[in-house]
Amino acid sequence: MQAIEGVLFEPVGCLAEFPAEPFLEIAARSFGRKKKTSKSGSRAYWHLLNLMEASGGTMSEALELQAVDGASVYEDVEPALSELKTMGVRLVIASSLSGAAVARFLKKCPPGDFFEGVWTRDNAGGVKAEPLRRAVAGASLHPESVMFLTDTAEGLKVAKSAGVQSILMMNDPDEARRLAMHDPAGGIVSLHELPDFIRFVAAENRVSTGLPKSPSDPAQTPPRALLRQSR
Amino acid sequence: MKNISIYRPKTVGEAIQILSQHGTEGGVYAGGTDLLVRLKNRLKQAPSYLVDIKRIDNLRYIKEDAQGGVAIGTATRLSEIADSALLKKKYPMLVEAIHTISSPELRNASTLGGDLLQEVWCQYLRGGYSCYRNGGYMCYGAIGDNSYYHSAMGGRLCYAAYPGDAATALIPFDARVKLATPAGVKELSVEQLVPGDMMVDGRIQSHVVRFNEILTEVVIPAPKPGARTSFEKLRPRGVWDFAMASLAMNLQVRGNTIDDARVVFGGIAGKPLRETAVENFLKGKTLSADLGGQAVSVALANAAPLKYNEMKIEMAKGLLASGLAKLNASN
Repeated sequence: MQAIEGVLFEPVGCLAEFPAEPFLEIAARSFGRKKKTSKSGSRAYWHLLNLMEASGGTMSEALELQAVDGASVYEDVEPALSELKTMGVRLVIASSLSGAAVARFLKKCPPGDFFEGVWTRDNAGGVKAEPLRRAVAGASLHPESVMFLTDTAEGLKVAKSAGVQSILMMNDPDEARRLAMHDPAGGIVSLHELPDFIRFVAAENRVSTGLPKSPSDPAQTPPRALLRQSR
Repeated sequence: MKNISIYRPKTVGEAIQILSQHGTEGGVYAGGTDLLVRLKNRLKQAPSYLVDIKRIDNLRYIKEDAQGGVAIGTATRLSEIADSALLKKKYPMLVEAIHTISSPELRNASTLGGDLLQEVWCQYLRGGYSCYRNGGYMCYGAIGDNSYYHSAMGGRLCYAAYPGDAATALIPFDARVKLATPAGVKELSVEQLVPGDMMVDGRIQSHVVRFNEILTEVVIPAPKPGARTSFEKLRPRGVWDFAMASLAMNLQVRGNTIDDARVVFGGIAGKPLRETAVENFLKGKTLSADLGGQAVSVALANAAPLKYNEMKIEMAKGLLASGLAKLNASN
């Protein structure tokens, strides 16, 4: 894997646990789908995006905002994003939510100027892969040096179609085992592993490419702890 | 099996030179009970250039030092340690632990250095899955069957448990090691040698030894007066298996009062886990029948088991209670 320079975040399932109910309600009201029960907000959301893409319809913004209000931000978001920012990794929101929904979500997030760009379905002009493509182009990054975190099969497909590294968030072991068959570029158990993942890829690249060694090169300095002792 | 080249240097200096030439493609070959299995299993991470250190004749010994401690060359076979009268007399707990490693046949081949630095025995890595330790970017143990060989104390990236028993048994004696490096000899404690998953030379490994360094000696300080030690190990089968949980203890007891304690769990984390909360709890306490129950209540507070290995924590706590009961009874 090429060294990672940027990370794209879809808030749903990646930065926060979203309730499924509002997304299922939108699918029922706007697309005439029979209302199902689903524990996973992410799956309901990506299913809805498929419907939107297929029919060209749109989401009810009120229900979307309701989903944002019901979302709980993961507790490791703040430390992970702070560490990534310190490492110089570029962080961008690339979401199929509306601009208003993302803006409200960012107000729920821990304070900190983490994201250098925010791409939504409104300013990207589309859903699924479109915000990712615009985010990569907007940050002038090479797609191969960018990762997109996701916890759904749809998310993995979208990342591949945008040419970025698809990284599976293995929130639920059983679901992750199933999704691992979709051949993601990598996987992390939770967000707190992301900085180490990026360091690992960078160190591996330095060793394998034989680039000039710098004082911070793990191959040249005494080994540094990769792990904290426990979650 | 991939094509390999084998070098047979006569000195540690020569071996380091060869390892330096081949970078991370090289690897030290001694007993081969870990390395050859990785090669046979066609693991991507297995080295292509093997540096056989068996012909270096000053790495295989057990000798008492002037301070009453014992130095062991790292090419010493585990069976030689298990049969050593000197070690039985001075460190019976270490000998007991070595006896529980694998089978007699494998102990006849395995070396002390190899046991300390062995690769994890996660079935996904060993089965050739493309995990963090084998050229990939995912831990299959974290999401798959993690009941036996994975950490119940959390982790980062790789969740495999550190498999060695020798390190678990050496840490309670404050044992140290010597590393031959291109810049000279480096000394570390065993605890510093195997600190859990580390990024070294672009690889994830359980120990801090770099590609061009060789572990040459383990030095165990003289036993302290009043030392009472125990080692216990639970494993899926009675023999020939790795610890699901193990515990090595070394208590320094005066009268019946514990002056100092070393408590080290094996098999439950990415490293031999020194449980300082229990050590601090035990200091100043009187060895008694109910001490085990009290110690268990402060043990492993940071446990973070995976889906299928919560029982490892209960096993480890059970070993703590039974170990303390055994030490109390040994009065």
